[in-house]
Amino acid sequence: MKPLIIPFSAVILTAFLLAVPGRIAAGDKYQEMINCNLHQSACTQNLAESTITLTVAPRPVKAMQDLLFQVTLSGKLPSNTKLPYIDLGMPGMNMGPNRVQLKPAGIATYEGRGVIVRCPSGRRTWQATVTIPDVGQTEFIFDVIY
Amino acid sequence: MLSTETIFLLYLSSGFTIGFGHCIGMCGPIVVSVSLNLKEKNILAPQLLYHLGRIITYAILGGVVAAAGSLTMITANIDAIQKGVMIFTGALIMLMGLAMAGWIPLGKTFGNHSSPGSVISKGFGKLLKVQTTLVYLPLGLLLGLLPCGPVYTALLGAARAGMDAGSTHHGVLTGMGLMAAFGFGTVPALFLVAKLADLDWLKSRAVIYKVGAVLMIIVGVLFVAKAIRY
Repeated sequence: MKPLIIPFSAVILTAFLLAVPGRIAAGDKYQEMINCNLHQSACTQNLAESTITLTVAPRPVKAMQDLLFQVTLSGKLPSNTKLPYIDLGMPGMNMGPNRVQLKPAGIATYEGRGVIVRCPSGRRTWQATVTIPDVGQTEFIFDVIY
Repeated sequence: MLSTETIFLLYLSSGFTIGFGHCIGMCGPIVVSVSLNLKEKNILAPQLLYHLGRIITYAILGGVVAAAGSLTMITANIDAIQKGVMIFTGALIMLMGLAMAGWIPLGKTFGNHSSPGSVISKGFGKLLKVQTTLVYLPLGLLLGLLPCGPVYTALLGAARAGMDAGSTHHGVLTGMGLMAAFGFGTVPALFLVAKLADLDWLKSRAVIYKVGAVLMIIVGVLFVAKAIRY
């Protein structure tokens, strides 16, 4: 029994200690995915023949506060009347379904209210997946202030 | 518009998938600590009481946010409490680790007591056993307040359900029911993790307790550190 103690303990502790920098590295990996600075300005992505602009107010974008999400379409607009929506989530972590339903707020502009929740893990990289029905979806990955 | 039954089912299944995809990593250390701390004792009742407590807290929170129609209004007011609960949880895991290793005498609090031979002592032992098992209900009630991303997300839905309901009374009941369904859905994953830590081959080895105790102390310290940064 005794001879097993040291190697077993070593394996468990090594696995645990390796997991810590692994988690930190994972955090960095997600930060590298950021393609948008919503704290400073609106962000734009191309989808099919359309351009999608996302704005979040108020700025800077903070978790656990009521936010106004605005999506503006330009270029070739979808011919259907289905409303776009935004799914909020974290890359690589299931935070549960958090959908912002958008309503028309002008020509090719849609707005909706939502909340980005806070993750106690400390990770601040979030993604807003904007879906334009029958056209497709695009992802805005950004940093959030806790 | 989804029917109420569909929404309840969505919350239940959402809790189930989040349980396996999120809770195991974030809350797994807590249930494993509870499980390891019980050593040779049956984990079923303590774990069920712990989860029942957690579900009750989620349901209360669901009712409150549904009545308020806002998550942010409520969380802004319980922010300090949540931080305190997080620090308490970290300290508790550390204490459990220290007690499990035998470095501090806290065995009776968490069920690690011996039953002496006499009838009176046996009776007292049984009473103590019930009391110590019941400790896990208030523990679950309190730890249900731990800050948790998916719980916040579920509460957002409960707040919306409250706003969409015809009356405050109906909204509160819907919010409570949705959060209870969500909490219930998370139980299988966490119970499975607790059960894995409860395996006989694992429990019969004193060394595992020592290693587990050290890991629990480390996890406790990390919890407190996270809470301070929160």
